[in-house]
Amino acid sequence: MLQFLIRRLSGAVVIMFLIGAFTFFLFYTIPQDFAQLACGKNCSPENIAVIRENLGLDKPITTQFWEFMVGIVSGRDFPQGHCSAPCLGVSFDSGEFVWDSIMDRFPLTLSLTVGGLVIFLLFGLGTGLLAAWKRGTAVDKVVSGASMVLSSFQIYFLGPIVLSLLVYQTGWLENPKEASITDDPAGWFMGLLIPWIVMATIFTAQYTRMARSTMIEQLQEEHVRTARAKGMRQRYVFFRYAWRGSLIPIVTIIGMDLSALLSGAVVTEYTFDLAGIGRLAVTGSLTKDLPLTMGVMLFGAFFILILNIIVDLAYAYIDPRVRLA
Amino acid sequence: MKPIRKRTARAIVVAVAAGSLALTGCSNDSGKNNSKDDSKSKEDAKAQSNPVAYGDAQASNGPAEAVPGAKSGGVINVYQQSDLTHMDPGQIYVSDAGQFANLIHRGLTNFQEDDKGNLTVVGDIATDSGKSSDGGKTWTYTLKDGVKDEDGNVITSADIRHTIERLYSKVIFDGPTFVQNWLSGSDYRKALPDGPYKGKHLPDSVLETPDDKTVVFHFKSPQPDLPQALAMAGYAIVPEKQDTKEKYDKAPAALGPYKISEYKAGKTLKLVRNEQWDEKTDPVRHQYVDGYNFSNTIDQESQTKRLIADQGEAKNAIQFTDSVAPTQMSTVVGNPATKKRTIQGYQVYVWQLTFNLDSAKVKDKKIRDAISYAIPNQSMVQADGGRYGGEVAGGLLAPTLPGFDPKYDPFGKLKKPNGDPAKAKELLEEAGFKKGTKLSYAYSNTPRGQAQMVIIKNALNKLGFDVQAKEIDRATFYEQVGKLKNPYDLYMTGWGQDWPSPSTVITPVYDGTQVADGSSNYSHIDDAQVNSLIQKALKQEPEEAATTWEQAHHRIVEEINPAVPVYYSKQMQLFGSNIGGARFSTESSYIDINDLFLKQP
Amino acid sequence: MTTLTKTEGEKAPGGPEAFLSVRDLRVRFSTEDGIVKAVDGLSFDVERGKTLGIVGESGSGKSVTNLTVLGLHNPKTATVEGEIVLDGKELVTATEKEMEKLRGNKVAMIFQDPLTALSPYYTVGRQIAEPFMKHTGASKKEARARAIEMLDKVGIPQPATRFDDYPHQFSGGMRQRAMIAMALICDPDLLIADEPTTALDVTVQAQILDLLKDLQQEFGSAIIFITHDLGVISKMADDLLVMYSGRAVERGSVREVLRAPQHPYTWGLLSSMPRLGGDTAQALTPIPGTPPSLLNPPSGCPFHPRCGFTSEVSGNRCSGERPLLPAGRGAACHLDHEQKSTFFIEQIKPRLG
Repeated sequence: MLQFLIRRLSGAVVIMFLIGAFTFFLFYTIPQDFAQLACGKNCSPENIAVIRENLGLDKPITTQFWEFMVGIVSGRDFPQGHCSAPCLGVSFDSGEFVWDSIMDRFPLTLSLTVGGLVIFLLFGLGTGLLAAWKRGTAVDKVVSGASMVLSSFQIYFLGPIVLSLLVYQTGWLENPKEASITDDPAGWFMGLLIPWIVMATIFTAQYTRMARSTMIEQLQEEHVRTARAKGMRQRYVFFRYAWRGSLIPIVTIIGMDLSALLSGAVVTEYTFDLAGIGRLAVTGSLTKDLPLTMGVMLFGAFFILILNIIVDLAYAYIDPRVRLA
Repeated sequence: MKPIRKRTARAIVVAVAAGSLALTGCSNDSGKNNSKDDSKSKEDAKAQSNPVAYGDAQASNGPAEAVPGAKSGGVINVYQQSDLTHMDPGQIYVSDAGQFANLIHRGLTNFQEDDKGNLTVVGDIATDSGKSSDGGKTWTYTLKDGVKDEDGNVITSADIRHTIERLYSKVIFDGPTFVQNWLSGSDYRKALPDGPYKGKHLPDSVLETPDDKTVVFHFKSPQPDLPQALAMAGYAIVPEKQDTKEKYDKAPAALGPYKISEYKAGKTLKLVRNEQWDEKTDPVRHQYVDGYNFSNTIDQESQTKRLIADQGEAKNAIQFTDSVAPTQMSTVVGNPATKKRTIQGYQVYVWQLTFNLDSAKVKDKKIRDAISYAIPNQSMVQADGGRYGGEVAGGLLAPTLPGFDPKYDPFGKLKKPNGDPAKAKELLEEAGFKKGTKLSYAYSNTPRGQAQMVIIKNALNKLGFDVQAKEIDRATFYEQVGKLKNPYDLYMTGWGQDWPSPSTVITPVYDGTQVADGSSNYSHIDDAQVNSLIQKALKQEPEEAATTWEQAHHRIVEEINPAVPVYYSKQMQLFGSNIGGARFSTESSYIDINDLFLKQP
Repeated sequence: MTTLTKTEGEKAPGGPEAFLSVRDLRVRFSTEDGIVKAVDGLSFDVERGKTLGIVGESGSGKSVTNLTVLGLHNPKTATVEGEIVLDGKELVTATEKEMEKLRGNKVAMIFQDPLTALSPYYTVGRQIAEPFMKHTGASKKEARARAIEMLDKVGIPQPATRFDDYPHQFSGGMRQRAMIAMALICDPDLLIADEPTTALDVTVQAQILDLLKDLQQEFGSAIIFITHDLGVISKMADDLLVMYSGRAVERGSVREVLRAPQHPYTWGLLSSMPRLGGDTAQALTPIPGTPPSLLNPPSGCPFHPRCGFTSEVSGNRCSGERPLLPAGRGAACHLDHEQKSTFFIEQIKPRLG
């Protein structure tokens, strides 16, 4: 187990380094550079030189890359102050420590994603199980049909409709906004309710269909029949035997969806005027803000790698056959 | 390029991702509204073009005249698409930050605006707008009593010296450079390379502080516009004790009625009352509301939707520097209830079709005149939102500039707003024009740019040109056309004044001595007569200078024609139903931030 | 031949000793292609402590019959008619709850492939202990002790540690032993073993069969032993039912049926089975043709398209009239008694070596 973690984490470090190097050098192939973009009305060669020097863009690319990577491990000093490890540099555009910006934005993206996930898992798996339990009946047909329709929606399509219905037309809910979960839990919940509803509507359908089909598949497994032959109650068989077998494909999809949700957070964030990691990433790449782009890329990659490790651990937990020696 | 370049660069951040289609500084509507034309006309905006007066000590005394019916208390919500570009005054050049600066920063001077939009430069923390002597080469300012920063430190002349000197250091690179240039020449940074941070100072022959209350500027040549330049946010005070250099941009100290209580980059900004601000010292600002909550993540479409719906927190909300989304302008003006909640007026920009005078194809003035006649200005306005977004331009100076002449119309566009192709053809014939001449037209890849490209292409192809349209990414458009050796013959550019004086338009855009890579003289016009008129006007008092500027303007448009005047851009912003005191500010072309209150706090 | 008449009298269906009595059982599945008559009028009895073997090809309805006895058919697609009486209780009309109480308790089942029939997600011990807790209300601890005892009984070494193993950690034979332990943990009166040795290699097969026999003696359960392997049947069963196309085609004691089979299908089964010590030069004779479609069963005797003796029956009766299985010892065939014994002795027996 420990060995597995060490192996996976060291693999992650290598991958992160490669991603970092790739992003960094790719960035320099873009003909546009930040100093020029940042340069306002008085875009004299002197001012550009000042900006370059301030940002460290006057140093050789390899030196910049080396300093950036070393900063992650041991921190760096900037005119703004000391940036302690893991230091992802200072944003060209905002002058903030990138790590601080990420830490400032991450709670929102995480709240959005995990909150949405919880809701659509509850509803999706719930309705899917119901449909599987009542398979072939009218309930099954209604649930399956509705899920087909809903899953074809997109956030940028459904979002404005829900906003218009619940906020603009009726004033039942406030516009989505961010609040701290610790300082203002009610505000946090109400502020993200609309995005959650929209995300849940779209993703629920997918989980409904998946839960239904894998459950029906599992219910036909021989070991499920054995359990029934032992006299175990139908509900027990359903929730213990068939459900356990359905978990593997479901966890696989959750893992993939979480990555997709995190990287797709940008659409959700822009649809609901929220500021999370997604917006940060877009800002970084559009303003050619190298440290910000690097930081978000690396952080995102790290998070997805961790997520993959968690999914693998979940597999091992669910299925003893893949349990690690 | 006052706001346009920087705003453009920042606006794309939102526009691209949110699928929003309009640029920030340029509003437009569908233009298909068939009701009576009640958009701001030139007559209505007359005040926007009155000359600026310099106020005396009387006019500079606080408190500011009360806004009728104003109540105290409550918090105003501010909708913004993105963060303010800067909060360190020295770095502030663009309008969103300038608008913001009025809430927390104070300078030596400020613009005072009456309810008709007439502007007076008054002393802000100085007792008056400045006393000049030595033919305008020396300017003396005396500080008011009782001006303190947010921590209660009294502001002295040392703080003014510090404010000016820090602009010489590398900490500052984004703000205006007028005063530095006037004091120390164009390579001013060499005069004080580290600013005041290593104990060195400008000599008394340049900047003098004889006592705690007095500041004297010594210029090499007369600078009659100094009071207006000092009113820019870029010259607002940074107290020596508070200066944190690079960090100051995130956490500046306030002198104005509000101070920053919380700032989250890219997200939110909260302002609260600055208890150290004394209304008796301030002739311009009020402190009616308890504070402002900025949400800097709301795109133009959402801002407009929220404000149209006017539900909940949107009742207390304003648009700060963004405009009504062009796609929703007709909804807004079509409903009397929402239309009542708009402010409208001219923006400072003039959109012009600039010729690259270095290109042989447009070297002949007759060719340029022909193109000027042929351009269908009205269609170009339609492509940018119709009459609520812009208005056909006769000349290259905006209605917001003093001395603006609404009748000035050398290309007859008032009578023929969609151009005069017959006249154009005539001119081309005289010029011995060869059919099929290729013209390279650069445009930015915004929906507006693309729509206007089609119009220009059609109009010029009809004359027999072969227009080669070249699309440029919006983020780099001005950089590309700003190159001296750019490969294009024509491009649409926009320019706006820094303060209501032609000197901030004609000098940067049409002064031949400014032609350089990255300069805003996009046409590369270099005319000896224009250059000398500019030099003359820069040394004159505003009233007198107005005539000189007009001469220069006429010389440029009629005898050189480096750019076709296309249209003046207009502004429309929405505010919530609980906002009181909302009015269009001539000075900022945005909602006047000084007079706002909540009707029901 | 004398034994034949004797057993016939003893084994009359519905006899007082019958522990399980199946009468005219019909199971139909509705599929997209039509109605499948999986079981079509089947009757048989099982006595306490005795073993009934059921043989037949795949699709003959032997597994469906036994799943139906346990009520494990899909109630949405299957219709069940007829009677299943277990120890005096009617099962066809029983509620799911009543069936739950029976399953694993009075009637237990062992499946063909112990790998797929055991859940991979739970320990072997837990799966064995589960029905004991459910049916006896025993505590976890008691159930564990009982399960370990059962594992020991079925010959799993170190049962206490193997209790916590997962099925994939067991060998094939051990898994089947575990299945048996699971089936017998509640001391069932009837054990249905559905091809319990098919998936195992031959040496393990023999061990499992011995184990089943030993345990039957110890527990006194009745066993229904389903197989297509007549060799296995001869070792295990007391009585034998040969099924074809959802029906019983021959019935009798194992001795009777194997020594003097009466139905041409049974002859075919015997001829296609290799024998130890048999004449190696004697080729095996597979039954020609394929098992009949259950969607469109052949008219008359369902075996007639594959039968080599239809010409011996006068007037197309084989394809026109369905032969009935007489009560007790007998076969559902239009050949008369005489023909049955003559053809077997003269034509079939020599080939069996």
